[in-house]
Amino acid sequence: MIGSFGEAFRLIFSGDSTLYQIIAVTLRMTLTSSLLALLIGVPIGTWLGSARFRGRKVLVVIDRALMGLPPVVCGLFCYLLFSGVGPLRSLRLLYTLAGMVIAQVMLLCPMAIGMMESHANNAAPRIRENTRGLGIGRFRTLLLTMNESRYHIATTFLTLLGRALAEVGAVSIVGGAIMFKTNVMTTAIMDYTSMGNFKTALALGIILLFLSLALNIIVALIQGRFEK
Amino acid sequence: MILPALKKAYQGQIVLDIPSIEIADGSIVAICGQNGSGKSTLAKILAGIEKPDTGSSIDLSARSDNDATITKRYTVGYLPQQSYAFHMSVRSNILLNKDPKKTAQENAAQAETLLKKIGLESMAKKNAKKLSGGETQKMALARLLMKPYDLLILDEPTASMDTASLPTAEALIRDYQGRTGCTILIITHSAEQAQRLASQIIHLEDGKLA
Repeated sequence: MIGSFGEAFRLIFSGDSTLYQIIAVTLRMTLTSSLLALLIGVPIGTWLGSARFRGRKVLVVIDRALMGLPPVVCGLFCYLLFSGVGPLRSLRLLYTLAGMVIAQVMLLCPMAIGMMESHANNAAPRIRENTRGLGIGRFRTLLLTMNESRYHIATTFLTLLGRALAEVGAVSIVGGAIMFKTNVMTTAIMDYTSMGNFKTALALGIILLFLSLALNIIVALIQGRFEK
Repeated sequence: MILPALKKAYQGQIVLDIPSIEIADGSIVAICGQNGSGKSTLAKILAGIEKPDTGSSIDLSARSDNDATITKRYTVGYLPQQSYAFHMSVRSNILLNKDPKKTAQENAAQAETLLKKIGLESMAKKNAKKLSGGETQKMALARLLMKPYDLLILDEPTASMDTASLPTAEALIRDYQGRTGCTILIITHSAEQAQRLASQIIHLEDGKLA
């Protein structure tokens, strides 16, 4: 086991092109999907948490149910949409990075909405009381509420990125884990483990852990900068 | 100006039940009472933050020259009991409430004047989140006074301020009233402050006029 770790570290620093290509595909996919989910989820979640209207709680319950959507179910849904018999077959998204991003955005959006909703639900009443007192309109109040949630948005992004990095079910169904095209770190770990290539699988696992650590450090630095 | 008759209950318990009250236009009126007397509920209803069970909130009735009651939409400014500092500089916070009838330069000059009068001039560039409770309340008061309203509702506007800041804040409120001619409702539990500022004092007790 310890020997495998040593070999994994040697592989990381050996400049193995396959390994770096898998990392590059993973980062492209996860960063794109997390950013898109954030862009969609932050305004919707903030609005859902701030607004008071009939049916709001129903929408919140639906979102929470979607937050628990199993990735394989999402992958299957996307597969059916993109496959040869699906309504979006003409877009040729199956086994492409774009298709994987769409599947991940579908998984991550409810999370982004839910995280922002719960935050805005707590923060909004005080903000709304003050903005209404000043005669500031609803749209500007929404923008101000989002501005007030900047730390939470950074935390939400980190959570989305972590979920996207660790996700395997949806991307393996939609992407097909095609080497040099749609194989990401999680699907590659599965492939290498099933092939008995523990050295590469472990190397990818270590990199995943370091990426997660690095992301946490970056967000902590950003938050520290904001607090100044 | 006539404040409408209002009734409000929370979970079956009546917290406010008052008849219509006539107040002089362009005057400062204090609403006094103990904690839980319904002062803040009244302020929130009049500001349109909360809806009354019966009565109106924002549309306050006014009397025309021939004494027939007509309805007029007043512009209402409201300072909540808990002032809020937005995550930006003190100056930017104040400029959130720009007067749309003024130019950018006029608004900037007005902000500087208010910062100076309220004693926050040296903190203009500071992040407003870093202000103390009293400083936040001063900033929120200055922010509200950036533009003219027909009716200004101030809910305990000096509650977090130290005693040394009280005359400054009260002078600013009087100055604003004199400048704009608006009607000011000031919610306070301090009888002394009510005496100092108001020409009419309304006492509330258990949600009713005392």
